[in-house]
Amino acid sequence: MTAHIEEITLDSLLPRVFAREELPYSEVWRRKVSFRRGGRYLVESASGGGKSSLAAFITGARRDYEGKLLFDSRDASTLSIADWQELRRSHIAYLPQELSLFSELSAIDNIMLKAEICGDTDMDRVESWMERLGITFRRDYPVGRLSIGQQQRVALIRSLCQPFDFLLLDEPVSHLDEGNNRIAARIVEEETARQGAAVIAFSVGNPIMIENPEKLNL
Amino acid sequence: MGLIAKLLRKNTSPARLVGFALSNFIGLLIIGGAVMFYVDSRGIWDDDESVINTDFLVVNKKVTSASTLGDRESTRFSESDVADLKAQPWVRRVGEFSASDFRVYASVSQGGRGMETALFFESVPDSFVDLPQSAWRFEPGQTVVPVMIPKDYLALYNFGFAGSAGLPQLSEQLISGIPLKLYMRSEDGRRTLQLEGRIAGFSNRLNTVLVPDAFMRYANSELGDGGHSAPSRLIVDVSSPGDVAIADYLSSHGLEVAGDKSGSSAAYLLKVVVGIVMAVGGLITLLSLFVLMLSVSLLMEKNRLVIHRLLMLGAPLRKVGAPYSSMIMLGCGAAWLLSAVALVALRSLYAGALEGLGASSGGMLWGAGVAGVLALVVAAVNYVAVSRKVKSAWGLRISDAE
Repeated sequence: MTAHIEEITLDSLLPRVFAREELPYSEVWRRKVSFRRGGRYLVESASGGGKSSLAAFITGARRDYEGKLLFDSRDASTLSIADWQELRRSHIAYLPQELSLFSELSAIDNIMLKAEICGDTDMDRVESWMERLGITFRRDYPVGRLSIGQQQRVALIRSLCQPFDFLLLDEPVSHLDEGNNRIAARIVEEETARQGAAVIAFSVGNPIMIENPEKLNL
Repeated sequence: MGLIAKLLRKNTSPARLVGFALSNFIGLLIIGGAVMFYVDSRGIWDDDESVINTDFLVVNKKVTSASTLGDRESTRFSESDVADLKAQPWVRRVGEFSASDFRVYASVSQGGRGMETALFFESVPDSFVDLPQSAWRFEPGQTVVPVMIPKDYLALYNFGFAGSAGLPQLSEQLISGIPLKLYMRSEDGRRTLQLEGRIAGFSNRLNTVLVPDAFMRYANSELGDGGHSAPSRLIVDVSSPGDVAIADYLSSHGLEVAGDKSGSSAAYLLKVVVGIVMAVGGLITLLSLFVLMLSVSLLMEKNRLVIHRLLMLGAPLRKVGAPYSSMIMLGCGAAWLLSAVALVALRSLYAGALEGLGASSGGMLWGAGVAGVLALVVAAVNYVAVSRKVKSAWGLRISDAE
């Protein structure tokens, strides 16, 4: 892996389950699409359009696709397990739709755990994000006892606590009110700008309010 | 303890781990104990015979009235006899005794007093004699011949003859230093050979006067009449002395074994008993291995989602496996340490009884060593199982993990 991944390219990519089906109009599947470092992308789809599949392909959780997925010039199918782990630690941050928090750990421990895996994290920045998203008072509560909306904010902060070139957000604000949506969007914009990274946000109708995103219909 | 380890150790069952450590400890103790006892007691069977290995049997045909009446061939081994013996599964190798084809007289003079006796020589292949090469060799032109005599001859002299004849008793060291004048003569008396002999060793098992094979060939060619006669005694290297099959074969072929075999029979019995005990210990160790494998794999199964999520966050596989590996190392290490302590206690129980019998030491080290190697094997097998389990969790689809 190089210091940065500049471009993620989907070349005629298609989930294998879609292969024998009549595909509705899509700006992503079976086309050549590139996500560039530094860009802002909003991928919108109807439910069942395959957005979680796309996120799973890019993070290496699934490989059941046709076509090609390239990180710069490197074919994703040639990556080893160790390569994928390094990719997840240093190049691609991911907030899954199901959040994947550890419910028995406190909010702050969930974030510290990420720091334990990915290396040092600026804890002052973390505390300020918690403050702005209004979850500081739940800092030491087991995540399992927080509301879904609060959990979503913890998971968003956790996804930012690592070096990355691309930030994948799968329905990051589905349980947030408009105010928190805006705050989350500002934080995402700040952090991606600081790291020079891209954000790729997925939505089925309640998109994160980042400014001037390039929109794609899945 | 890091947050990762804290998460991964969730659902750990201390009772199952203690159960593993205990069963592993018992298995290691039984195996280590058997090895220790075997090594410690081996000295009782092996120590008294240093020159000729206990695994050697000296075999001859029974002397019958016919042989007394002149039919010497009836006590000789034909080539087919030797070939048949060599074909037995318990035979490693067979050596033939060569007899001297000339007359031998030996004399000792010491402090003005002299002794002279008629003697005979035999030889066996040098590989059957456990003496250093330098002490047991002969080349034509050499003036000193190494000779090996039975320990009983010395006892006969010291306790029987020396007392009644008013001669001094001799120690093994002393007699080894006394030069022996050897005078050899062909049957017809025309050719003679005079050499010096030196006692190079004493044997319990070979009831004969032994010289190096090379000397025997040389002297027979110089003094003998050239005829090669079939051997009347054989030395046999057997894989398991005391094996019932050996006794059966010998009695059915009318053969006798020279010397006392009870030692080797007891040694064989000991081997069998130790073997059975070790098999039981091995079985318990194997079971403990599966207990550990099962409980670690159950634990990892319960924590599968946690493992998968940690891997999705980019945690290195080694780091995810580490809490389980260290648990395994700890369990195996504790079991081994306990078994080593128990071995020390066990040894103190029988050490006193064995020492009187001339037991060797070092069994403790062997027992603990073998137990340690086994504990390492158990740990290694489980380590590999953990690594594979983590790898399989990596390949899970999110939907499978949920």
